[in-house]
Amino acid sequence: MGKFFNRTGAGSITAAVLLLSACGSSGGSSGGTTATGDPIIFGSAVSLTGQQSKEGGLTKQGYDLWLDWINSKGGIVVKNVKHPVQILYEDDQSKPDQSAILVQKLITEKKAQYILGPYGSAASATDAVIAEKNGIPMVEANGAAQSIFSKGYKYTFAVLSPANKYLTGVIDMAATLNPKPTTLAMVSADDSFSLEVAKAVVDYAPTKGINVVFNQKYPNGSTDVSGVLSQAKAAHPDILMNSGHLAEAIAINKAAKDLKLDAKIAAYSVGPSTPDFISSLGKDADYVYDGSQWTAQVKYKPTFYLSVADYAAAYKKKYNVTDDPDYHVAESTAACLAFQKALENAGSLDPAKVRDALASLDVMTFFGQLKFDPRGVNTFKPMVVEQIQNGKHYTVFPGDVANGKPSYPAPAWEQR
Amino acid sequence: MSGLVQQLVLGLLLGGVYTGIALGFGLVWGVLNIVNLTHGALVLCGAYLTWWLFSSFGIDPFLGLLPAAGVLFVIGYALQRLVINRVIRAPLLFTFLLTFGVNLVIVNLLLLIFKADFRSVTPHYAGSGLEAGGVTVPYIRLAALSISLLLAVGLAAVLNRTRVGAAIQAVAADREAAQLVGVDLAHTYALTFAIGAACAGVAGGLISMIQSITPGSSGQYTLTAFVVVILGGLGRVSATVVGGLIFGLVEIFAQSNSHIGAGYSNAIAFGLMVIVVSIRPRGLMGRLSGTAPGV
Amino acid sequence: MSERAGLIRRVLLGVAAAILTVVMVMPLTSTETAQSWGLPLMTDKLWFRVATTVAMFVVLSSAWNIIGGMTGYAAFGNVAFFGVGAYSTAFLVANLHVPFAIALLAAPGVAALFAIAIGLPLLRLRGHYFAIATLGVSVAVAEVVNNVEPLGGSNGIFLPIVRSDLLFFYLMAATAILAVAVSWLVLRTRFGYGLLAIRENEEAAAVIGINTTFYKVSAFALAAALTGLAGGVFAQWNVFINAENVFPVDYNVQMILMAVLGGSGTALGPVIGAVTLEALIQAFASGGEFAVWSQVGLGILLATTVIFVPRGILDFFGGQSRLTVQYLRNSLRRTGV
Repeated sequence: MGKFFNRTGAGSITAAVLLLSACGSSGGSSGGTTATGDPIIFGSAVSLTGQQSKEGGLTKQGYDLWLDWINSKGGIVVKNVKHPVQILYEDDQSKPDQSAILVQKLITEKKAQYILGPYGSAASATDAVIAEKNGIPMVEANGAAQSIFSKGYKYTFAVLSPANKYLTGVIDMAATLNPKPTTLAMVSADDSFSLEVAKAVVDYAPTKGINVVFNQKYPNGSTDVSGVLSQAKAAHPDILMNSGHLAEAIAINKAAKDLKLDAKIAAYSVGPSTPDFISSLGKDADYVYDGSQWTAQVKYKPTFYLSVADYAAAYKKKYNVTDDPDYHVAESTAACLAFQKALENAGSLDPAKVRDALASLDVMTFFGQLKFDPRGVNTFKPMVVEQIQNGKHYTVFPGDVANGKPSYPAPAWEQR
Repeated sequence: MSGLVQQLVLGLLLGGVYTGIALGFGLVWGVLNIVNLTHGALVLCGAYLTWWLFSSFGIDPFLGLLPAAGVLFVIGYALQRLVINRVIRAPLLFTFLLTFGVNLVIVNLLLLIFKADFRSVTPHYAGSGLEAGGVTVPYIRLAALSISLLLAVGLAAVLNRTRVGAAIQAVAADREAAQLVGVDLAHTYALTFAIGAACAGVAGGLISMIQSITPGSSGQYTLTAFVVVILGGLGRVSATVVGGLIFGLVEIFAQSNSHIGAGYSNAIAFGLMVIVVSIRPRGLMGRLSGTAPGV
Repeated sequence: MSERAGLIRRVLLGVAAAILTVVMVMPLTSTETAQSWGLPLMTDKLWFRVATTVAMFVVLSSAWNIIGGMTGYAAFGNVAFFGVGAYSTAFLVANLHVPFAIALLAAPGVAALFAIAIGLPLLRLRGHYFAIATLGVSVAVAEVVNNVEPLGGSNGIFLPIVRSDLLFFYLMAATAILAVAVSWLVLRTRFGYGLLAIRENEEAAAVIGINTTFYKVSAFALAAALTGLAGGVFAQWNVFINAENVFPVDYNVQMILMAVLGGSGTALGPVIGAVTLEALIQAFASGGEFAVWSQVGLGILLATTVIFVPRGILDFFGGQSRLTVQYLRNSLRRTGV
């Protein structure tokens, strides 16, 4: 107990000292060209252990990639002062209740001025409340469920396209194919994100002349979904869709092969874009589509930071891998870019001013357009559709950013 | 009709995997009176071993089950002899907490070694299977069921036909009496746990072929084992088999039925368990506590 | 208890009371009045967050202790009451616009009713069977809640933000003090003796005229009411609730761990356990490369504690035992083979 008291006591004293020194330095440096200022501190509670350590790790990779780059430039330039950057992490052990304490710890004790989002919808919602209560801006990279954004919170933004866009691109693509698929089976996990994805598809498909012949949910985190798939098979769908998570996508693909569910298109919301999907399934991963926030093949013309190709190269170099970064990494980097640009535009470190700069942000990056609607959701960046062909990812839709063509229809399992 | 048969088949096949997961857990619980929260982590160890042998050396995953069982046997023996034996006579909750701590250690060591990536063993024959009248029976799942049943039969044989088995049964029935007639308690405890761990290793190997594995899913396997053992009842190997098969069937049927099931399949499975336990506290086929394990 | 032991006990209780007073007064320095008097700020937002969390776990483990520690029924699904309480309050506040003060009162009531409903059939079970049945209930309730649209389904419920740290700290601390006081009282009444008798030998308890069903269900409902109250406070404090954050299976383990660590069956054991374990968890919290290692360390620490201090930390504070090599050796001999 004693130690705890000392620690917080010291914390508040340092807070006061820092506050004083911050006032002093900003007063003194105005008018200089490029002086070096105090470091800017970002905080993030990501999952490094527990259920979501995979996704949490990818998130951290994306943040760190930008961190290296910005510090190699000397930092973020705010009003002609270069501020080096630090990102402080806490591990929430994949437990949303830990996230709340840790984000508060980052803000209060570690003096984080801005918050980079966690992974997962529950943790994102919890952190959004903390950010709002503290008046600290948070940019999320990985929570695509929109429910957080209908509460009028002012300090939370998300760079990624919302859940309802995840698989509608696949429907658009399907409508252009020949022979056109006409039936669709939707299999969805029961968390808020996955249900939003599924609902959007079920509402949208009929407008493109595709009938939803099967639509069922299963408990989030199910390890075996062969029962649901046997039902889906009985409906003989042309398109098999899943909105869920990586483990479920792998399970569904395995079960589809086991049960000889021969769909012309198999598309999963989350999973196929990660290297794990291909390494786990080998050749069975071929022909699978996913709706992706981003791929390493998109053709955006960024106005700052790296080009798409340079980004992929930087990623491979830093993490010493041969796979392209997947979209979880890219959207995490994009969250940092949103902050960087907002800080530059605001010309101030003041949280409220940075928040306003985020709200009016509009910039083209390697990740696509970063711009937020009044709720704080980035509805301006399109999703793309990618497909795995011969163990490699190809962006196949929309045509203007694609580097491959859909391999359609997928052959029956027996003929592969 | 064929839909119903298909679900029945899938349920039984899934039940086979569940049986495999639960066998070792039930043995340890029945004999040592330990609710072993490390069990899921041991299953994961077996799964990762099988995966590692397959992906690094191209060893067929079914062949890989043998070294997985062997290694887990050794780990299990050491774990019980060196650690859990220290609190074996403490109240139930203490072993509970101890194994919770050990689970945390193992899972995070796995995370360090294998990273959080999702892995799965996909041999070239994955996905092939029998097909008759619109019903598909995937070979790998069929093999998994067979191996689980073989494991159960083997376990029952060891318990009933060998000296070791006799010692284990004696310990389960009455510790003091067993000690009086010359049973080495520490060794027998460790051996029981080792056999349980070996079963977990095999189950893990089977899971690596059917699902995907990641260090975070330890708790899920422990929970499954818990439910299966309670459903069937403690103290009998055959009860675990029945519990496993029923749990598999319930899960698949609940999952497949869009009217009642769907999002509720866990609630249905656990609800069933609560009902069974309320009506028949011994489980469907369990013996009264304090009696020796049998077939 | 010897003369000396009694003295030590009184001194320790005095120290505990002093610490409690300080902790309860400290937050007042954050009020505007105190600040205008120029008093030093002794608590910040993090202090409030951690202290409120600790108080919450004091409630959870003390409540568990009533059914698990005193009555000997290893409830493994108490998190169900936490969730039911949280959802009761949240539903009333967010959907029916009932004032929080009134909605909060519903939380213990609904949780206790729920406990009575499931307790009547389940408390006939013993040992592991009771444990697994309660676990089953908590998992099933969480899943049902996740699928019920009026409760927000998987989106959960957002409550209006209330920005007072002081309010939630004092509410949760008051709930914690209530939980400890109830435990203390229970242990000194006929009701408590009945529970202990049931723990030691249920048949014998029935023979001497204890209505075991009534006693057990009452203990269960009492535990549920306290847990549910904590859930109700949590809902408004955390603002956002869904099945994931108010029914975490981990809490089941955590509250038992705390009670056992401190000393189960006693009034103060769960408090000591909750404070110690939460302090450890926060101390071991880490980001970056050490996150995984700190989890490994926490696991090792738990395992060694269980092996060497099986009767809980409270054992050292009653004057009965002292932490010596001999004590550790005895612990091993008593429980090992």
